[in-house]
Amino acid sequence: MKSNLQLDAKGLSCPMPIVKTKKAIDTLASGEILEVQVTDKGALADIPAWVKAGGHAILDKSEDAGVITFFIQKA
Amino acid sequence: MSNKVAIIASNGGLFDAYKVFNIATAAAATEKEVAIFFTFEGLNLIHKQGMHALPMPAGAEHYAEGFAKANVPAIPQLVEMAQELGVKFIACQMTMDVMGLTTDDFVEGIEVGGAVTFLEFAKDAAPSLTF
Repeated sequence: MKSNLQLDAKGLSCPMPIVKTKKAIDTLASGEILEVQVTDKGALADIPAWVKAGGHAILDKSEDAGVITFFIQKA
Repeated sequence: MSNKVAIIASNGGLFDAYKVFNIATAAAATEKEVAIFFTFEGLNLIHKQGMHALPMPAGAEHYAEGFAKANVPAIPQLVEMAQELGVKFIACQMTMDVMGLTTDDFVEGIEVGGAVTFLEFAKDAAPSLTF
């Protein structure tokens, strides 16, 4: 999947993945896609909750060798 | 639905600081309007020097290793992040007077107020949290 911006939040723990995701999405226009990579297991639940609160959409989620990747489309 | 989160920080340890600032930054990053009322020992959390050396609870010192391993941000970093995200810091005037502290003792950009200042903000906040 193609994204407009990639964010590497690997190795960061709560609340930094959310804070970084918020800052990254603020730089995008509506409809653009942010790709976020995290290793914090808490983010598995937190990113979807944050996406829901902001009215954004998760287009894809995958996990590979402990790295979780989300594709988030900005509302 | 309320878009405000009101937090009272009344304890001054390292664990207390993480509870307060993690919730505050997460809420602010989720487009909430956040205010923290720092009172009594809670003032330590925004004290220019104090926030760099917040104590662990007695007997919990061994968690220092876990903090390092989990790559948890330092408290001053979270304080800066919270302010950058627009979290409002209100220091309790009465406690400052009792402890002989002035605004110069605290990080830049704080407000000083009394209980009513906080209550006015918190009256339509959900959740209101106390740490």
